[in-house]
Amino acid sequence: MNVDLFGYSLSNLAHRKMRSFLSILSILIGIMSIYALISFGMGLDAYVKGLAEEAGIDKLFVQAKGIGAPGTDENFFLTQDDADFIEKIRGTDQVAPLYMKAGEIAWKDEKKYRFAMGFDLENEGLVMETFAVDVAAGRQLRKGEADAVVLGYNYQFPLKIFKRKIAAGDTIELNGKELKVVGFYSEVGNPSDDANIYLPKEGFEELYPASKEKYGWMIVRAEKGTSADDLADRITERLRKHKGQEEGKEDFFVQTFEDALATFNAILGVLKGILIIIAFISVVVASVNIMNTMYTAVVERTKEIGIMKAVGAQNHTILLVFIFEAGFLGLAGGVLGVLFGWMVAAAGGGIAAAAGFALLKPVFPWYLTFGCIAFAFIIGALSGIFPAKQAAALKPVDSLRYE
Amino acid sequence: MLLDYAKLASNSLKKRKTRTYLTMIGIFIGIAAVVSLIGLGEGLRAAIMGQFGFLGPDVLGVQASGLNFAGPPGTAVVTPLTDDLADKIERIPGVEAAINRYLESGTMEFNDRQVIGFSYSVPEGEDRKVFERMLNLEVAAGRPLKDGDRDKIVVGNDFTLDSMFGKGVRVGDRLLFQGHTFEVVGVLKKKGSFIFDGSLAMNEGILKDLFRKGDDTVNVIGVKVRDVKDVGRVKEDIEDLMRKERDVEKGEEDFEVSSPQQTLETLDSTLFAVQLFVAIIAGISIVVGGIGIMNTMYTAVLERTKEIGIMKAVGAKNSAIFTLFFIESGLLGLLGGAIGVLLGLGLAYGLAFAGRALLHFDLIRAQVSLALILGALAFSFVIGLVAGLVPAWQASRKNPVDALRFVK
Repeated sequence: MNVDLFGYSLSNLAHRKMRSFLSILSILIGIMSIYALISFGMGLDAYVKGLAEEAGIDKLFVQAKGIGAPGTDENFFLTQDDADFIEKIRGTDQVAPLYMKAGEIAWKDEKKYRFAMGFDLENEGLVMETFAVDVAAGRQLRKGEADAVVLGYNYQFPLKIFKRKIAAGDTIELNGKELKVVGFYSEVGNPSDDANIYLPKEGFEELYPASKEKYGWMIVRAEKGTSADDLADRITERLRKHKGQEEGKEDFFVQTFEDALATFNAILGVLKGILIIIAFISVVVASVNIMNTMYTAVVERTKEIGIMKAVGAQNHTILLVFIFEAGFLGLAGGVLGVLFGWMVAAAGGGIAAAAGFALLKPVFPWYLTFGCIAFAFIIGALSGIFPAKQAAALKPVDSLRYE
Repeated sequence: MLLDYAKLASNSLKKRKTRTYLTMIGIFIGIAAVVSLIGLGEGLRAAIMGQFGFLGPDVLGVQASGLNFAGPPGTAVVTPLTDDLADKIERIPGVEAAINRYLESGTMEFNDRQVIGFSYSVPEGEDRKVFERMLNLEVAAGRPLKDGDRDKIVVGNDFTLDSMFGKGVRVGDRLLFQGHTFEVVGVLKKKGSFIFDGSLAMNEGILKDLFRKGDDTVNVIGVKVRDVKDVGRVKEDIEDLMRKERDVEKGEEDFEVSSPQQTLETLDSTLFAVQLFVAIIAGISIVVGGIGIMNTMYTAVLERTKEIGIMKAVGAKNSAIFTLFFIESGLLGLLGGAIGVLLGLGLAYGLAFAGRALLHFDLIRAQVSLALILGALAFSFVIGLVAGLVPAWQASRKNPVDALRFVK
């Protein structure tokens, strides 16, 4: 029975090719934009989640307050004494203080300004884990190596930062001092972090003597069995007392890795939400189009409905016929929309990766594809309800008489 | 003549009320979305630009190169400027004044609460007047700084709000900056810029004594050019001088001379790009609405096949039939657009009002220009016309005999 209805709906749609095509086209466009936007959004979520998993939930950041990026405000900084103190707090496993300053890097007649970072190689594991990088080419820095530097991923390629690429073994100038490039870290996925310059603590202190033991921020790892949140509270309280500061007047703040991501996630969530709502408007318009098509179909087939009813078709059969038809319009639009959306997102992801934003990588899980298609079908069927009700409510005698 | 067509078209639209309404809903949802989003975007952009747009076109800034987005000017640099440069720049013809500017971040304490912010220096002597004019500094209460003021400061307008320290700062109050006690002698007029409204000013002498002992570095050099026409030439002269002073080759400068106007343009184009992206995504729904119009017109042509046959039989030309359907379609678009603009206006101002009330974020403003309204109307009319093109052409090409014989 239902198979018959289905066939009848299909043949009706085929009969009005142009109109069906246009209705499908309109839902297709809406679904396409939603599918593409969500696939990018989910890709970003996966990226952030990956960061959290790689870096782990046992990390905290202690950061000096002040204005601008950490390390750039010379009036606010953390000291070696702070680091030593935090190391002794119960629950702290390891502390990695980090230097961060603007650096002038010169390579073959070109000069750029990027962040230079310095850390003690004793803390190598913790730092690399937090930045979610490993050595992609060449080798790691060595403790005490004052004339060596490791560069971010993008320096290895021409035109990304400098016109010409840099290879391991080349010599660059940093703030006027010649340094040997010993290696490169792996890709982080955003153009800012992939342009960082990494130095051993000793080399950094030679380049920035005034900043010796003035750290912008520190990475802290909590001991096994200590929750990062508890440790964050403990560090805030103990360090405040150690520095003789009052509550609310600290010149530093402590954040867990999850807190840091949560802020980022919240902003990301709002942006995604706004874009998807805006794209959703086109689906609403498309559903109005389907409704319109179906109203027209009902008017056109008034006589047909009369005949069907005269030979015994029940109201709910007529209702189903028209809902099927509308649903099918939605379904077809959904399938095609997902297909085109996939193409658009894949192309967009390729362009973003080429521009250095590898973090903008769309993902296409099966449930997104399935969900979009189901959504399109439901939207179509819902749009068909009012016209279908109208059709079902027609009186057989009146409709037979309709011209 | 054209009016007759319009009348005929609107009559046939009235006959099919449900379909006409639904088709128009399709268009007006999209237009309302685009108008309100662009309106909100424009308002936000204007508000953000207002944050920085108080410097005139005759002002130049000299800074050391570095990561200038990473903090206040002159903080994330590699080789800072030195304080001897301003005098040299001042000797360039056409320069009215070159002023060393010092910024110092620190803790501000009042009412037992602490806020991190920064103070900026006000030059003493003759340069004071130029500087006040350059930054358009006027006091709303109290008095401006004068030569010889030591532990006196003038604060930005946000200091008077309870939100900053839990209690508004008044003239005569005492405030701690980096542990030093200062007396507030004046409050500046509101500039609409969170940077200026949230920072405090003190005389150059005291700032250097307290925070810059034995330090010859400067954050920025502000240059006031006498005649706006000379700005381009003066900029080049400053660059030449700086290259010589800092011993760098052309193309390898470790400093930047920029006009605030330039900085504004960069910011503006970024904001515009964001706005455009949002508008394009919203614009998709207008395209979908256009497809709806096309669909409706195809149906209308089909329905009225017999009518077209009769019109042709009594002598209507192809062009007349074409115009009839073409106008009907354009009218659908225009009407939808008009309703959409009205809705969009309501949405934009309503959302901006709600946003300000709920989020207390003063930058959320709507600004719907006449150009936007007319543009939206024209766009919806054109979408209607384009959507009607093929159906109207098909209608006009119908063979009268076949059309008369057509049975639904």
